[in-house]
Amino acid sequence: MRNIKLKNLKKSIRGQAILPNVDLMIPGGKFFALLGPSGCGKTTLLRLIAGLETADSGMIYLGDDDITRKPINERPINIVFQNYALFPHLNVFENIAYSLRLKKIPKEVIIQKVFKILEAFHLEAHIYKLPSQLSGGQQQRVALARAIIDEPDVLLLDEPLAALDFKLREKMLLELIDWQDKLETTFIYVTHDQFEALTVADQMAIMNHHGEIEQIGTPKEIYEFPHTSFVARFVGSTNIWHGKLRELDTEPEIEVPDLGNFKVYTPKKKEWMKEGHDIVMSIRPEKIFISKSEAQNFSNQIKGVVQSIVYYGRSTQYNVLLENKEKVQVFEQNEEHFPHEDIDYDDEVYLYWQKENAVLLEK
Amino acid sequence: MDRKNSLGKISSLVFVSCTYLFLYVPIIVLLVFSFNVDRFPAPWTQFTLKWYHELFQDIYLWQAFGNSLIIASSATLISLAAGVGLIFYAAQGGKIGKTLGMFYGNLIVPETVLAVSLLSFFTMIKVPLGLITLILAHSVLGLGFVVPIVYARYRELDPTLTEASLDLGASTLQTFFKVTLPLLRPTLTMSALLVFILSFDDFILSYFCAGSTAQTLSLYILSMIRTGVSPVVNALSSVLLFLSSLLVLFFFSLKTRIRF
Amino acid sequence: MKKQASALPFAIGIPALIWQVLFFYVPLVLIIISSFVKLSSAGKIESFTFEHIQLFLNATYLKVIASSLLLALSNAILCFCIAFPLAYLIAFRGRLHRNLFLFLLIVPFWTNFLLHVYAWFYVLENQGFINNILMKLGMIHAPLQMLNSTGAIMVMMVYYYLPFMVLPLYTSLERFNYTLLEASYDLGGSFFATFRRILLPLSGRGIKAGFFLVFIPSFGEFAIPELMGGDKKMFVGTVVSQYILGEGTGSLGAAFTLISGVFLILSTIALYIVLTKLLQPRMYRG
Repeated sequence: MRNIKLKNLKKSIRGQAILPNVDLMIPGGKFFALLGPSGCGKTTLLRLIAGLETADSGMIYLGDDDITRKPINERPINIVFQNYALFPHLNVFENIAYSLRLKKIPKEVIIQKVFKILEAFHLEAHIYKLPSQLSGGQQQRVALARAIIDEPDVLLLDEPLAALDFKLREKMLLELIDWQDKLETTFIYVTHDQFEALTVADQMAIMNHHGEIEQIGTPKEIYEFPHTSFVARFVGSTNIWHGKLRELDTEPEIEVPDLGNFKVYTPKKKEWMKEGHDIVMSIRPEKIFISKSEAQNFSNQIKGVVQSIVYYGRSTQYNVLLENKEKVQVFEQNEEHFPHEDIDYDDEVYLYWQKENAVLLEK
Repeated sequence: MDRKNSLGKISSLVFVSCTYLFLYVPIIVLLVFSFNVDRFPAPWTQFTLKWYHELFQDIYLWQAFGNSLIIASSATLISLAAGVGLIFYAAQGGKIGKTLGMFYGNLIVPETVLAVSLLSFFTMIKVPLGLITLILAHSVLGLGFVVPIVYARYRELDPTLTEASLDLGASTLQTFFKVTLPLLRPTLTMSALLVFILSFDDFILSYFCAGSTAQTLSLYILSMIRTGVSPVVNALSSVLLFLSSLLVLFFFSLKTRIRF
Repeated sequence: MKKQASALPFAIGIPALIWQVLFFYVPLVLIIISSFVKLSSAGKIESFTFEHIQLFLNATYLKVIASSLLLALSNAILCFCIAFPLAYLIAFRGRLHRNLFLFLLIVPFWTNFLLHVYAWFYVLENQGFINNILMKLGMIHAPLQMLNSTGAIMVMMVYYYLPFMVLPLYTSLERFNYTLLEASYDLGGSFFATFRRILLPLSGRGIKAGFFLVFIPSFGEFAIPELMGGDKKMFVGTVVSQYILGEGTGSLGAAFTLISGVFLILSTIALYIVLTKLLQPRMYRG
């Protein structure tokens, strides 16, 4: 399957620069996710790839083909719209068969192909129904079937699960992964929901509010090793500490005002890591341990008072107030039915973590 | 499809311009020559306002204008009142679903047929033709618009609003006047405007049901046309066009505030 | 919550119905009845007869009905050919200046009908605008006869009825879900294929509304043929008015109205069926 290369793509709408400069390589045959806050420009980027919009400048390549100026109906790229865009006056069969009918493929071949896909999607019972007679999940599957039946190179999905409820969404995500695996088509999945992105992606890109791509990598790379504070904050939750870098060459530490010094881990020295300069440290809540008794053998430890507790079933979230008036979030998995330690409101607690579990970011 | 197809864009532009040109060239010609001294539309000779002077001194014209105004206003009021009454009945629980279909007859029957049958009717019950018969005729025309439009909007109203009003202690009567009617106000205004215009500009009903006594604006213009080209009519056209534009502007200001 | 309609609301609501029945349906019924009655010289009913009807069931009058139907149909089709692209362009490409376009469309619509007739008179008459200019430019030596022809009638009809077709089409297209068209293009459809398979079928309601708003009144159109077509052109409207306004021919007028009315209803139904068939998508149903 062919790669997609976006080179210096720029797009403004009504004078506002939505995408200032996108330079991205999307590997062929993989499940790629584009994650970003609402209104950041990710849908615009998708529409540029589909051909629904034309870029102001820049190039789009599908493999070696320059498709920048190719009209939408000539691109072997299909899109699954957020609102599904099922043709309300055509039944399920005709919706799915649409692209085949346009190519004037003989009727028998069409019937055969459509029935095969209907079977795969478990839609046999609904063949002659109109979209209005289908449930959300069924409509979604029809939209997907319609987009893949003519075997496009790339499938674009614009927040396809936004309208579904939680359980259904989980189910559909797994089905999508399955499909991508089977078809080996490149899937480009656009969403603002990080859970969806992390679940499906082989590779993902994070886009910020200004249409700039902050980081590209596997879900694990992005989650565990964010490159910027935006990525650290947007994907999952995190605790951010500002301070100065000390003792860079010997035992690196971050000096946080009114709180103290904490040991940090710097396996790769970046150019912005300079002695005495401002840096940012990010620690994910699940990487922090909480206890009423002091801990031994941990690089970093601080004291605080529990402000609020939120019970999530699988985990419990503690919001702890530190001595310097900052708040810290801590997640603990509820591993035991009868936890050995009962932490309650207003309890004095110790928070501790390993220095390797924090990430240093540029200010 | 975001086709920057220049051929498509140019032909669209040409098409739209030609269409609007078609709609406006006669009117513009009319307007321009209302200021020309020459009686006949010849190349421009001299600017003058004399035709406008003549226009404003024509008593019969203003009588006809006044009549049209009276007829239009009365017809509008009657159809509005009847329409609101019907909605009131529906709001108090009356079932008018099936009888509603009766009001759609206006769309199915050409105005000529209506005019003709009303004429026969009036002749038969020996009612003299004049202002009264015209008002009656125009109000029937108006009903055919007011009832379907207002009732459709009434059905679209959010039921939770009336429920909230009742829940807070209002009677059904109070709810109708304090909640339902105000919500319907834009639609009522718009249908009133529509009926007024239709009545004021109407020709066919006036032609058949006016008899020899009543003179409406349309009929007056007809007589002027019959005597040939006259720039006074041009002057009249520009005045009426100006008034219509104001009305349409008013209509648009309503439309932007709330959907029909 | 069951609400019982008491007497007062009924009294308030009923006048509308009475009014409609009295001044709309009663006259219509009367017209129908009077087609079948023979009146004495004193105006009293003598007998019931079919002779009025029979009088009109011959070639001459059927031709009049036919030409009216043809006029109405061509008017509707012509209006549609202009109105649909116009409505499409305003709805999909003219978002910014939409209100201006609509304003310009409605102003003539809301200006007195006779003035429009006069405007075209002014332009097309023997001593009117076009002829004057052409004569002064020396391009012609005798005035072109433009009025009193079917051409003039058609021009005026389209001119007057265009907004009737544009507005329902525009309303329908304005609410149209544009992503459906995008989906069609995305799946490989050309502009024409998308138009035929998606846009047209889904605008069915607006198209039918537009057609009927133009076809039905055009059939009974009386003023335009009368004023623009001169005496040579005979249409249903002009014939009916001749009889109705004539002395003692009231019943004849009624009879002809009835017959044309029947033909109108039949052709409207036929038109509806044809339109529905044309706009229906072809689907495989197993």
